[in-house]
Amino acid sequence: MMKLALQRVWRPLRVREPFLVGLALSAGLLAIGSVAGWAGELAEAEPLTFERQIRPILRAYCWDCHGATAEPKGGLDLRLVRWAIRGGESGPALVPGDPDQSLLLRRIRDGEMPPGNHKVTAGEQQILEQWIRAGAPTARPEPEELPPGIGIAPEDRDFWSFRPIRRPPVPLPPMHGDRIRTPIDAFLLADMPEGLSFAPDADKQVLVRRVYLDLLGLPPTYEQVEEFLRDSSPDAYERLVDRLLASPHYGERWGRHWLDVAGYADSEGGAADAPRPWAYRYRDYVIRSLNEDKPFDQFVAEQLAGDELAGAKVGEWTDRQIELLSATGFLRMAPDATASDDSPENRYQALADTLRIVGSSLLGVTLHCAQCHDHRYDPIPQSDYYGLAAVFAPALDPQAWRRPSERLVSLYTEADRREAQRIEDEAQAVLQEKQQKLDQFLTEALEKELAKYDEPLRGMLREAVTTPADKRSDEQKQLLASHPNLNITPGVLYQYNQAAADELKKYDAKVAEIRAKKPAEMFVRALVESPGHLPVTRRLHRGDYRQPQEEIAPGFLQVLCPDAADAVIPLDDPQLPTSGRRLELARRICRLDNPLTARVIVNRVWMHHFGRGLVATPDDFGRLGSPPTHPALLDWLAHWFGTEAEWSLKRLHRLILLSTVYRQASQHPDALRLDPDNRYYSRKPIWRLEAEWIRDRMLFVSGTLAPQMYGPPAEVAEDETGKVIVPANERRRTIYLQVRRSRPVAFLQTFDAPGMEVNCPKREYSTSPMQALALLNDQFVLEQARRLALRVEREIPADGNDNEFLYRRAVRAWELALARRPDQREKKILSDFLKEQQQLYDNGGAPLPDQISAETQILTNVCQVLLSLPEFLYVD
Amino acid sequence: MIRSAANRLLTRRQLLAEGAFGVGGIALAWLLSREEARAVPPAVVNLQVHRDLKARPPQFAPRANAVISLFQHGGPSHVDLLDPKPELSKRDGTEYPGEITYSFINRASKRLFGSPWKFAPRGECGTQVSELLPHLSQVVDDICVIRSMHTGANGHEVSIRYFHGGIPGVLGRPTLGAWVVYALGAETDELPAYVVLSDPGGHPVDGASNWSCGFLPAMFQGTVVRAKEPRIFNLDPPAHLRGEVQGRNLALLRDLYDHYLEQHPGEAELEARIASFELAAAMQVRAREALDIQQETEATHRLYGLDNPETREYGTRCLIARRLVERGVRFVQIFHSGQPWDNHHDIRNSLPAICRRTDQPVAALVKDLKQRGLLDTTLVHWGGEIGRLPVVENHGDPAKCGRDHNGQGFSVWLAGGGIRGGITYGETDEFGHRAVVDVVTPNDFQATVLHLLGIDHQRLVFPVNGQPQAITAGRPARILSPILT
Repeated sequence: MMKLALQRVWRPLRVREPFLVGLALSAGLLAIGSVAGWAGELAEAEPLTFERQIRPILRAYCWDCHGATAEPKGGLDLRLVRWAIRGGESGPALVPGDPDQSLLLRRIRDGEMPPGNHKVTAGEQQILEQWIRAGAPTARPEPEELPPGIGIAPEDRDFWSFRPIRRPPVPLPPMHGDRIRTPIDAFLLADMPEGLSFAPDADKQVLVRRVYLDLLGLPPTYEQVEEFLRDSSPDAYERLVDRLLASPHYGERWGRHWLDVAGYADSEGGAADAPRPWAYRYRDYVIRSLNEDKPFDQFVAEQLAGDELAGAKVGEWTDRQIELLSATGFLRMAPDATASDDSPENRYQALADTLRIVGSSLLGVTLHCAQCHDHRYDPIPQSDYYGLAAVFAPALDPQAWRRPSERLVSLYTEADRREAQRIEDEAQAVLQEKQQKLDQFLTEALEKELAKYDEPLRGMLREAVTTPADKRSDEQKQLLASHPNLNITPGVLYQYNQAAADELKKYDAKVAEIRAKKPAEMFVRALVESPGHLPVTRRLHRGDYRQPQEEIAPGFLQVLCPDAADAVIPLDDPQLPTSGRRLELARRICRLDNPLTARVIVNRVWMHHFGRGLVATPDDFGRLGSPPTHPALLDWLAHWFGTEAEWSLKRLHRLILLSTVYRQASQHPDALRLDPDNRYYSRKPIWRLEAEWIRDRMLFVSGTLAPQMYGPPAEVAEDETGKVIVPANERRRTIYLQVRRSRPVAFLQTFDAPGMEVNCPKREYSTSPMQALALLNDQFVLEQARRLALRVEREIPADGNDNEFLYRRAVRAWELALARRPDQREKKILSDFLKEQQQLYDNGGAPLPDQISAETQILTNVCQVLLSLPEFLYVD
Repeated sequence: MIRSAANRLLTRRQLLAEGAFGVGGIALAWLLSREEARAVPPAVVNLQVHRDLKARPPQFAPRANAVISLFQHGGPSHVDLLDPKPELSKRDGTEYPGEITYSFINRASKRLFGSPWKFAPRGECGTQVSELLPHLSQVVDDICVIRSMHTGANGHEVSIRYFHGGIPGVLGRPTLGAWVVYALGAETDELPAYVVLSDPGGHPVDGASNWSCGFLPAMFQGTVVRAKEPRIFNLDPPAHLRGEVQGRNLALLRDLYDHYLEQHPGEAELEARIASFELAAAMQVRAREALDIQQETEATHRLYGLDNPETREYGTRCLIARRLVERGVRFVQIFHSGQPWDNHHDIRNSLPAICRRTDQPVAALVKDLKQRGLLDTTLVHWGGEIGRLPVVENHGDPAKCGRDHNGQGFSVWLAGGGIRGGITYGETDEFGHRAVVDVVTPNDFQATVLHLLGIDHQRLVFPVNGQPQAITAGRPARILSPILT
């Protein structure tokens, strides 16, 4: 039985040709013996060496001045122990065996070094002291010379996240029997302390709601829950998961998660925050790609280099090319204030923010920390940062910048153009007709005016008027100046002949009508290179664009490339119309021997299913991030994802959702002592719905959610009090609302929707009285409560013979809102409330809104409370 | 519920008993409060993160426990208001002898522009204040004018962000108010802890970033109380729900939460959720009460200038600020829309206009706090992000001239909450262009405000990517001890 389930989850190994590289995935079957030392923490027994413990400290605090630069301050270079002993202008910095005589430690202790407020901690000082006392040992003989810069040491590569992904063997913890449904469960159970196990499976009723909200961001209907409860076949849950993964709403929820890290917005940011009318094509691309389960490596490659994959335009853009161009919207999501202010600062900022998004979304590294200097904690030299900037330079070049409006790719086809020309010809014909009429009217008006004068003046005036202005004699000019009424222009014709002016206006209307038939010009917000543009990229001293330094060639992060040659990205690919740099970068990023990509995405998916990642800092897998709580599981998942699962996100979801860890109940009283923080995943904690899905769920249960997918975003607006709202007639899912950085929708912001300063690698969840006020008084909530009440009334008409219809309606509202029937206690609470309410309203003790009966208002009150219940705002 | 001055300062015992920062921290803090923060040993920080607004004791004995910040956007002209320059007047019309950094080159000149307004010693202390501020002149014995502010940058945004977030020009960091409520929590559970009183004309430059929580959790951002009704969004139920109806709805909600909690024991989040409904319900009553200035006497209305159309609006907000602080709000900031102090043009009329709008209400706030015994524990800040140049900004007609931006030297003032009144601190050069004596940066200002609240700016940190972040962001910052009592 268990074996059967496992087979179903693990599709047979079938190595798909990776999207970009013909690389045979051979790494697959290596197992690693030990996962000790993951956290990179100082283990008690471990002997201190320069390379392992001291280097990171000096790097963080000292190397900025004493190592990273070509001319170290005070002549002191602390990159090698030998050099530290030799010292600088102030004499030797290090005396092995004698901490108190070592200037290095003394100045640190005095607080003199490093300057500034970021001081070496007491713990770190202690490590330094111990190491010096032990004779300042190194792990191996030091090199004779070092190239300039901080370089990357073997110890740097040995950090957990930079090590290659190997597949650890699946443990077989005893005594858990059928609790092990997948390898995930096996890893988690093996890690649990004795006496701890998973919580029992959640009720089917709880589970079905959980999986709907988790995969679709929409609840099941009451009927869908009932149907699932009736299905007693052993694979009922499995089939439910498959059904939901196939739903188009899946992309609307999980696409939103990706849009968070991509920093999706419909406006440019900066002071003006101009709208981005075509950003939505990227949003739609993301939703479609997830719905069709595009392999993640392909998904990423398209976003990084869609334009390069699309190739040249031959004839018209094909649908596939348009899709690929839309994908590059990923690299156009960062704020770009050059839309309104094309300053060098804004150009460089847009580039920096784009790199930040690439780093935090795909690689889980804080790339931006290496913009101004070598990364203080992770092995990312500043030159690596500019190597990546060089990869993007042919398309994102601050020296030859194109503002957002200049980057749009038109989708106008030749046929569109011809049709537009044909229509314009039609319009021109009408305009010509109008011109004839105009000339005629002007002549008539002039004649009428001239008729007011007698000869010979009339003749002189006529001659003066009909002579071209530049040929007129002085007398003629004089003459006309004293008869201004003869200066009849089209603009003043109406003063002479209103009927003629009106007739001409009709021509204008007709022209406008004809022109309106032209095919609309659509655009893609894409990142494309300027043909043949291969600019030189320079390192910027302190990240300041006014201080360019040496040239930097395009490259990938060295720490991810054990073979130095792998870090080089060619300047130009002669096979392509583009430079090929980003395509090459995509190849480096999208493969399993890049240790970060698969770990990072697997961790993200896990985080959204469980509320926290196996690595708690999804955008930082470096030294300052959190180490994985379950390193072996993370690696097993990452490896499985990149091999058997063929980078399929849906298969990853499926594996997770079919696991016991996901199916367990939220309550597990026995585990509270052994696992109070749920570090071991001994229950499935409740989580609050994100802002978008609170709004969607309200629309859904009130029966008014509009089903249209995709397309231009619904504009947000301010109400009469200045609150940014969604216009009441806009009922599409929240993902289709305009994301205006400077105008966040108040309701969504209140529930922690991200503001998109740049992007949002991880959301915050707050509990505030402002949220409660919104649930109590916000017009949107009140309206959905009312609509839910009216929906129920339509289903259950009032019946004069039925005293219980109000109660039946309340129960039905409960079913619609929470997809279950109230239990006995809840029924009692409801029925008591209704009795009280009837008394209240019968006695006229409470006012009613216009046109609303007491019955409707009572039901609306119930509905509003339903929309604030734990089961509505949270997922169990 | 309205607090008196007496119970507002925590005793040392309370500190030790309730110290969230640990005894070691407090012992150290006591040391520091005597020895000045310059001697702080490195990195004694508490990286424990919290996400609630529970009242927390400060790190050491505070002098103030609430702040009212009257932010004056645009750059008030210090040489016409608070920083008299006889030499400038004497050499009016002659050329400025040194280098000047302008913002608007096209209208720039080096012609010195002596203040058209007269200064005189005011109060018992004799601090010189311009005739443009007759009301402030009456409370000058309670304020300390800092005449040596320096941001080093002329731009509005660069300097505004420096004042709020601690780094020049960087947007989106937590503001001073957010840090304060993160550190100290709320004293009332019926009102927001950090309130922004916005201008009827709209938000200032940078909009909501002026009260952003930045990387702190969202609950620490400022709550905007609007200049007109509805002053708080969603505060008012529609007429048909008001009062008993909503009360009964909440009772139903409570019953159903209780029932759910019985089946889900120990879910702290759900406890907090139902509590938030109760706070919201309390706020509907209390916030309205706090914002209801009709409860004030006619004399108070007159004090703040509510009887005068010119001062009524700003006066109302100053009065509301006092009512909020009185009810336990921790940090109140009043903003202008646009930049009324940005007197590039026609300074002879535009500067007196904004002074007329604000002088009386501002002085009234100081007087009123003082007479209620609240000034001792409430720190009042008045100031803009920059000042103005001592030279003429040309607009053709000499009568319509103004002054360009000046981030090199300008004045702000502080009062109450541990500030020595009746003094000035720092100096600009003889023309008022550059701060030259006891230069004060926004980081010094932040460190000092936090110090008065019993917080060491270097130890008020929040981990971002595992790295402790502080408002002063590791930049040099000193506590202005000479201006403290």
